[in-house]
Amino acid sequence: MSEWMIELKGTTKRYGTLVANDHIDLQIPRGELLTLLGPSGCGKTTAMRCITGHQHPDEGQVLIDGQDVTDLPTHRRDLGMVFQNFALFPHMTVYDNVDFPLMIRTLPHDERRQRVTEALRLVRMDELGDRYPRQLSGGQQQRVGLARALVYRPRVLLLDEPLSNLDAKLREEMRFEIKELVTQLHMTAVYVTHDQGEALALSDRVAVMNVGRIQQIGTPRDIFERPNSLFVADFIGLSDFIEARVDAVEGNSTWVAVKGLRVRVETEERLRIGQEVTLFIRPNRVELLEKGAPAGENVLEARVQKLTYLGDNIDYRVVLPGDWEIRVQTNGQQYLPAGSSIKVRLPPKHCHVIAEQK
Amino acid sequence: MILTYTLLVCLSIFIFSPFVLIMIKSIGKDWFGKLWLPPTLTLDWYKWAINVARLPEVMKNTIIVTGLAVAMSTIVGIFSGWAFGRRHLPGKELLMSMILLPRMIPPITYALGIARIFYGLNLVNTHFGIALAHVTLCAPYAILVMSATFEGLDERMLEAASVCGANPLRTFFHVTLPQIMPGILSSMIFTFTTSYNEFTLTLMTYGADTLTLPIRTYLAVGEGYWEVTSAMSVIMVLPSLLILFLIQRQVKPEQLVGGFKGL
Repeated sequence: MSEWMIELKGTTKRYGTLVANDHIDLQIPRGELLTLLGPSGCGKTTAMRCITGHQHPDEGQVLIDGQDVTDLPTHRRDLGMVFQNFALFPHMTVYDNVDFPLMIRTLPHDERRQRVTEALRLVRMDELGDRYPRQLSGGQQQRVGLARALVYRPRVLLLDEPLSNLDAKLREEMRFEIKELVTQLHMTAVYVTHDQGEALALSDRVAVMNVGRIQQIGTPRDIFERPNSLFVADFIGLSDFIEARVDAVEGNSTWVAVKGLRVRVETEERLRIGQEVTLFIRPNRVELLEKGAPAGENVLEARVQKLTYLGDNIDYRVVLPGDWEIRVQTNGQQYLPAGSSIKVRLPPKHCHVIAEQK
Repeated sequence: MILTYTLLVCLSIFIFSPFVLIMIKSIGKDWFGKLWLPPTLTLDWYKWAINVARLPEVMKNTIIVTGLAVAMSTIVGIFSGWAFGRRHLPGKELLMSMILLPRMIPPITYALGIARIFYGLNLVNTHFGIALAHVTLCAPYAILVMSATFEGLDERMLEAASVCGANPLRTFFHVTLPQIMPGILSSMIFTFTTSYNEFTLTLMTYGADTLTLPIRTYLAVGEGYWEVTSAMSVIMVLPSLLILFLIQRQVKPEQLVGGFKGL
């Protein structure tokens, strides 16, 4: 028993001159659900295919449960996988699809029947065992895909954008279903997606990928609250980015100059005075205050440029002195008409600086 | 509406009248001159066809040749189709055009060349030789149909099978084969009809022991027995009709045609 269920050691994959995976190092402990998150072309699928064995890395190693599987063919890796397009066998019934891995493993008949029934019950498809995949809805097909991947209790479950082909409402539902199943079965799982909402909702840890590298890896909270780069901040959630310059540093407080204004930021990052940085804040962390609110730290004069009413919340465009605009989201109760003069507060603990500029 | 039906009826008459003529001829006796229908009906011509023209033996030759041609073309079709449909081949279009070439140019132009080579190899007057000549016409169909079939095969499905623990061989038998079966069937049907009806290439490669139905029928025309020739034609039509019936029942013709991508 190795400490890591899956380990990538300097895995590199090139397609011609394009480097799809650039020396990826990744360790996934037993029982963890890790998401590979990134825009299309970031290398997340390639990384997964190196784990499944559908791609052979040009360099580096892939270890599953401490065993070097780099040169082991897929069918001997003991993995389970769920596909974006479901990839069910169209000429087999639901029951036979789920039975397929067991048939390949030549298990005794009784055990096969018992396990298939159990797996189908687990995904609430036990009533539809004799249907063919084409007779099922997308959500049902993906449940069958899940049952097929779990029925032989593989060491690792891989999910390649399993919800992308489903409609929005079903996607939400199945997120939790998958999360629950994986937790319940104590599976180690790798989930590939470009949907940040999915990644945050499902994962124990998220690895954000960009141009063939892992840009940041951490818990959903880490990734959202403390992104280590403009890319991660921009890719996950909404952000206001403002170019700034470091003005003063004192302990954990850093003052940055933004268009002639001074903003205090709490950051652990060590910055030089005069360094060009980007200040960023999540739009829903900005506080909108009445015009008459008392002056204070990080409280700035502002004017509502326009607003969009979204029901659950209101999306404001607010112009600050020095003519820069930020986006602010508040809950729907605080309604400030366009054109009105207000004040905004940028809470220091929600202001972040990243030592790069666009 | 009326116009459409009129046209359709005319078309049917145009297509079916030779058949009807042959049918009646094959069972009629003393049908000469201006008679609308033969005065007496008889099965004598069929007896002649079977006994004198040795039709059972000819039929056997035809079935052996066609069977061999279908088998060879199908095997070639499966392997080449896999390469065309699933692999990145440099010069794929050029290769495909070359494979299709025998279908595009009149077979008579290269039939003589085939005969020359076959004389050298002692392949003339052998079932295998004739079948091999037929493959030049049958294989393009098979390759075309199988390429389209393999192109339509979902790569992810094969990956799913491998993740489930199936090695390539078991993946082929449990997943790939059942899914390419319609392609194989339609390829077999079309190669069968091509080989079964093939005349020009057979004419250049047949011998006394390897008469096939189309050749025998042609020779009978030369011998001048119209009625016997008619009976042979009717016998020759039967398997084709059977195949047509099977296609209609088992496979949807429009799907088969769909397999002919780019033709």
